[in-house]
Amino acid sequence: MIYVDNLWKKFGRFDALRGLSFEVPEGSAFALIGANGAGKTTTIKLLMNILTPTQGSATLLGVDSRKISPRELVQIGYISENQDMPSRLTVGEYVAYLRPFYPAWDSELEVSIADQLRLPIERKIGDLSHGMRMKMALLCALPYRPKLLILDEPFSGLDPLVRDEFMEGLLQQAGEMTILISSHELAEIDGVATHVAFLDEGKLLFQEAMSDVIGRFREVRVTLEAEARQPNPAPKEWMQIRAVGHVLTFVDTRFDKNGLNERIRSRMEGVRRIDAHPMALRSIFTTLARAARDGAI
Amino acid sequence: MFVLVVVVVRWMYSAVIYKLGLFGEDPTLGMLAQVFPILADFASMFLIAAIVHLDAIPGMRQDWLVRPVSRLDLVIEKFLFVVLMVDGPVLLAVLFQGLANKFSFRMSLVAALWQVTFLLFALILPIFGFASATENMTQAFIFGCGCTFLISAFLTIASDLNGRAHGTLEPVPYSSVGWVGETMRFALILVAAGTILGLQYFRRKTLTSRALVLAFGFAILATVFLPWRPAFAIEKALSPNPSVGANAVLVLNPQGPKFHSPSGLAGSARHDYSTSIFLPLKVTGLQTDTFLISDRVQVRLLDTHQKNVFEGVGEGLQVAKEGPDPVEEPVYQEIPLHSSLYHALSGESLRAEITYSLTSFAMKSSYSMPALGGDERMPGFGWCQTKMNEVETVVELRCMWPGKGPTCAMLFLENETTGRRNPTRSACHGEYSPYSGWYTGDNMAHFGANIPFRDPSGLAKFPVDGPQLPQSRLVIRVYEPEDHFTRSITIPQIRLQDWQAQ
Repeated sequence: MIYVDNLWKKFGRFDALRGLSFEVPEGSAFALIGANGAGKTTTIKLLMNILTPTQGSATLLGVDSRKISPRELVQIGYISENQDMPSRLTVGEYVAYLRPFYPAWDSELEVSIADQLRLPIERKIGDLSHGMRMKMALLCALPYRPKLLILDEPFSGLDPLVRDEFMEGLLQQAGEMTILISSHELAEIDGVATHVAFLDEGKLLFQEAMSDVIGRFREVRVTLEAEARQPNPAPKEWMQIRAVGHVLTFVDTRFDKNGLNERIRSRMEGVRRIDAHPMALRSIFTTLARAARDGAI
Repeated sequence: MFVLVVVVVRWMYSAVIYKLGLFGEDPTLGMLAQVFPILADFASMFLIAAIVHLDAIPGMRQDWLVRPVSRLDLVIEKFLFVVLMVDGPVLLAVLFQGLANKFSFRMSLVAALWQVTFLLFALILPIFGFASATENMTQAFIFGCGCTFLISAFLTIASDLNGRAHGTLEPVPYSSVGWVGETMRFALILVAAGTILGLQYFRRKTLTSRALVLAFGFAILATVFLPWRPAFAIEKALSPNPSVGANAVLVLNPQGPKFHSPSGLAGSARHDYSTSIFLPLKVTGLQTDTFLISDRVQVRLLDTHQKNVFEGVGEGLQVAKEGPDPVEEPVYQEIPLHSSLYHALSGESLRAEITYSLTSFAMKSSYSMPALGGDERMPGFGWCQTKMNEVETVVELRCMWPGKGPTCAMLFLENETTGRRNPTRSACHGEYSPYSGWYTGDNMAHFGANIPFRDPSGLAKFPVDGPQLPQSRLVIRVYEPEDHFTRSITIPQIRLQDWQAQ
């Protein structure tokens, strides 16, 4: 559905994206994760042909992003935290303005989404709160049942109630559409994303299915008979290694239930106990962010 | 809002002009007639920018960028809407103004169409292109102020340099061929707007577009330096009757009487900074009922080493041949020189080269109307009225017609019973533009001339004076350009002091 190949974007001397490559499979909910300034929004703007790449290419729905035409745009829904809509129009007027542009626009679905999101149709867009505006963006993106839905930091600045309403509205209509969602908050995409890509300073650190990520990260705690020392050399898949008293802790990024004991015991003696705990997505994100900052990955 | 302002102001301006009539004596209406066109133009500029900014091109947050909106449809729809909203009221205003002044529908419509075409190039295209390179009204206003400052600075410096170069640097603007420069500017505006709109709407290259706004802006400004020769060559190629001036000859008439200043003051005493010399000329070969006018007189003075000591422009020349055997009057070529230059060169032997760009006019039609209280609609000319001024020294003639109107008119007062007539006065349009249109206001040509019949100082006596006016008519002879051509006079040896006014 989306194919990105060696994408570069420079703003003057600043490299916002540095050879980004990833693939969004059809029907997936693909989360693009990264800290603020990692290049998520730039990537999405490039995909939508709002920006042009300095080098490399991106393909959406089989078309080069630079050649996206109304034919492709009728199949793409786009929601961004900083989308400017005509503030002088009411919600109803703007939806009515958009309707003729989309041949597949479903008016009944539009009404049902508006009801579900409890949107004030008669109110001017300029008078809406940020949360209301995001819900309105959803109303403007879903009724034509896009094949591809792109959401750029959709939860930013939303209170939990509005966020839940937004997610509910989105998930109910998601169906078979492919979703690309960018966020710096892993908790927000937990339970939504099927795939995840981690972006740091314009570079992609990894991309894989969410189940694989959850499966391969473990927080490991090794209790030793003697004073714990950092293994030298430490395996590169171990991160955040800490030795406190008789306990050595680390994050195993290549967790293998069967091989863990053997790998640990081959590196240290006097192992009394090994505990491996699944990690929350937020902790995985933090670990990776720190490792990236320290140049470990 | 802006749409309403544009419509109301344009139509109010037309109503004011209509109410002013030919003599425009109401000072309040006169002031409004000055203010309304400026207001209308500013309102039009804001309207154009506002329409463009509804779906701004620069920026990354606009919702329309991710909607299935055809860029071509968008730019065409916006442009047509702007044309309709800015040109529409002007078209109707000029049309109704023409009809209200009892001109024919065809004349009024043609004038209105010329005006809207003119505004398309002079106002809509440049503002539309400019606005598309800005993100919002604030940005457009700030950039607009910056551009206005740059334009003013450029024109001021250019004008100053032109003055230092004795008028040789900016020969075309405000001359008879000024329209060539104007047409070139319109061509550049068309190319600039097309390029910038293409870049913005189809590629969104705002930085490049802004650079182009500056580059084209300077190119458009640089047209003030358009050289005279190619501009006049274009005019020459458009001569309606190129053979008319073929026999015209201009030569120096050294035996001719020296110029006597009518005021009795010699040229050198007239100004501290300028001294003029007057060369007597003999002009022959003109056809009957034609007159010759100089569009530009280029003068070069060289010293004995063939070094250029002066290059500038001479005063305009006008020679008429009325009837088969007219009374020959002396013709002088005035060449103004800076006094310091004159004093430095006055006794030296110099070589003078004078190049004339000339236009020969032929009489096309003649009209007459009562000298006082006349109110005539003259087919092919326009609607005119005459009256005496308050101090009873001149007959005031005021005319109006839709569109460009005649190029030149010769006017004189003639006593119907005695056949006596006063010296002829000429009034010319100023340029030979093949099209009409104005930067502000309507497309009604307003023409006026004051024809004297009494000299308050008592020095001059007129054959047709005040008491004869009730029996007199004002004769209007309309002349149109027939041929544009050049002539040169080379004087191998000349001493400036020999040709100063006596």
